[in-house]
Amino acid sequence: MLELHALHKTWHPPKGAPRSLLRGVDLVVQPSETVAILGASGSGKSTLLRIVAGLEPMDAGRVCFGGEDLRDCPPERRHFALMFQDFALFPHLSVQDNVAFGLVEQGVGRAQARSQARELLQRFGLGAAATGRTAHLSGGEQQRVALARALITEPRVLLLDEPFSALDAELKASLRDEFRQRIADQQIATVLVTHDENEARAMGARCLRLSGGVLLSA
Amino acid sequence: MVHLTRRAATPWLLAALPLAFLLAVQVLPALRLLALGWTEALTPSAGWVPADSPSAGPAAVALAGAWWADIATLASGLAQPLQDAYLRGRLVWSLLQAAVTCVVALALGLPIAWVLARREFAGRGWVLRALLLPFVLPTLVAAIGVLALLGQGGRETPWLLLYGNVFFNLCVVVRVATDALEQVSASRVAAARSLGASPWSAFWRVEWPAIAPWLMSAMCLVFLVCFSGFGLALVLGGNRYATIEVEIYTLVAHELALAQASVLALWSMGIAALAAWLYAVLERRLASATRHDRIARSPARGWRQRFAVGAALAVLALVCAAPLLAIGWRAAQAGAGAWAVLLEEETLEALWNTLRFTVASVALATLLGLLHALAAQRLVLLRALVFLPFVVSPVLVGFGLLLVYPQQSASLWMLVCAYALLAYPWVAKSVAARLDSLPTHYHDAARSLGASPLRVFWRVTLPLISGALRRGMAFAAATAVGEFAVTLFLSRPEWATLTTLIYQRMGRPGAANLDAAMVLSCLLMVLALLVFLLVEWGAQDGNEDEDNHA
Repeated sequence: MLELHALHKTWHPPKGAPRSLLRGVDLVVQPSETVAILGASGSGKSTLLRIVAGLEPMDAGRVCFGGEDLRDCPPERRHFALMFQDFALFPHLSVQDNVAFGLVEQGVGRAQARSQARELLQRFGLGAAATGRTAHLSGGEQQRVALARALITEPRVLLLDEPFSALDAELKASLRDEFRQRIADQQIATVLVTHDENEARAMGARCLRLSGGVLLSA
Repeated sequence: MVHLTRRAATPWLLAALPLAFLLAVQVLPALRLLALGWTEALTPSAGWVPADSPSAGPAAVALAGAWWADIATLASGLAQPLQDAYLRGRLVWSLLQAAVTCVVALALGLPIAWVLARREFAGRGWVLRALLLPFVLPTLVAAIGVLALLGQGGRETPWLLLYGNVFFNLCVVVRVATDALEQVSASRVAAARSLGASPWSAFWRVEWPAIAPWLMSAMCLVFLVCFSGFGLALVLGGNRYATIEVEIYTLVAHELALAQASVLALWSMGIAALAAWLYAVLERRLASATRHDRIARSPARGWRQRFAVGAALAVLALVCAAPLLAIGWRAAQAGAGAWAVLLEEETLEALWNTLRFTVASVALATLLGLLHALAAQRLVLLRALVFLPFVVSPVLVGFGLLLVYPQQSASLWMLVCAYALLAYPWVAKSVAARLDSLPTHYHDAARSLGASPLRVFWRVTLPLISGALRRGMAFAAATAVGEFAVTLFLSRPEWATLTTLIYQRMGRPGAANLDAAMVLSCLLMVLALLVFLLVEWGAQDGNEDEDNHA
């Protein structure tokens, strides 16, 4: 169970006055539950996700998982997978090495990691592209690779930052269903950040709105 | 938050080595030079002050107070070079030759760049690649190329140095201007045309404002290279048209007039600092300017367009390729006797020295440059320091090191450190630019996939910057191979490199020695090219790969 208690964060822009983004955010996400955080751009929802991932410090509050306070836990030891808006696939690695990245970090041998990655890519319908470069993939395929890379290590929490915003409408709809299915298969706590309420509903998520620095039910 | 405080300390840890190095090899010597110049300016020496100069008498000191008198003395001390007709001439000539070079290089370079940026023709890619050559070419080889082309007959003429400067800098201007023209937004030019502007008017009203900052920054760089340059000015300027850098070298090495030289050094540093500051300001403004709707290149049609392409290539060949071909020509004509110089023990030793100094200094430069670039991602201070080597010229580095570490002046590590100081900004700048272009998402994605910061560097950052690293190393290696100024200051006879050997040969009387110098210049040119290609070859592929896939 992922718990956020009274998260506070003030953003200090290089120029201009500081802006209070989060003013006491509380949230509990049950295992195998999907929570969607809606909000206008600049409302601080991506910052919230980065704080949960451990990539950004918070001013006050607590992030806990299974009752353990993650204050001193660096991002690589949280075992939370974060998926980016632009997918952030590594351009110097092949598709399968991208997917195998996290396994190698866990100490799995390279050959073993690769074969596991290929297996997962097969299931995602990308078996043929495994040894190719990520840049040769279409937007939807890159999206699937990013999800495969995030899911292969069986993370405790999946964090999705505007996962469908880079795709066209038709692809969005079909991928949403696919993602929903795959996430449900793995039964992980998922936090989805989006500005599109339809998308959130389609993912079967409990919807909350980040407004004025606090979470309200939407 | 433990990991976050650790994160805040990391850039300083990375920066420690480059900072210590800069402090010891650049800042301390420069400060020592400044201090010496300052003291010298405060105590005017007999030989310097013209008879009619108003000196602050004891009565004036008593009246105005010591501090005011100090400032007056200092000002008059600093102005000494201005009051002395000979030194004033040197200073004015240094500024003039740099300024004239800027104007000529821009006037010739911009039309050539326009042709390269807007016209498609066979061999265009090769021309662009060849424009990198001057970055690799040792200044001494450039100077000898000009001599080989125009002969030594009328050496006491300003034109030799001006031609050498244009030859050395035209390619830089053409490259920058081509890049700038390729950044111009096609839709903006199209908008201007549809609003009734002729191509000529669209150029001046839309394209020119977009490329002007780039050209200004190139002008600053050309000015710095000409003003602080040593090799070209020493060989081509002769006695009469020596620049301030050559004058400093002569004062230190031949006349042992350290104090006078240090006052000139103050002027040199001041003027270079001004130009470098301007350059840094302009570069910062350019950092964010990237356009994706480029103007498409069209093949040359009709006799006018074909003539334009032909003329551009002809000017480029005449100015930039002719001196290099002339070296080859003179060397080929020299006969077997001159070529035997390649097998002389002196030559082989110089070759060995050049190679080992290059390897050692590139290794050090790579380490320093990499650390510097990584730390500079977080520390603004370090970004500014990349420009420091532009301010302190190689001559001043050599001079300053002699002042601060007199007992080490003949030590090998001092020489290697000086080489590395001149070479490492190439690595730092190349890597820093690549790091700037990397999305932070890669780092964050790798962290959240379980990689520690060190593992992220090893598995993600290093592979992605490897192309830029190799390119920086290639330029660093070329710098080390062609290094001349510092070597003259710090080297011992047994450490002669190819550059100093060539210079020695030119100083010896007789045509045979000149022929030998031509042959050795050929060797140095080939060596610089080889070193560059060796490192650059892999980088070329890597970079294109990254650009395609990023």
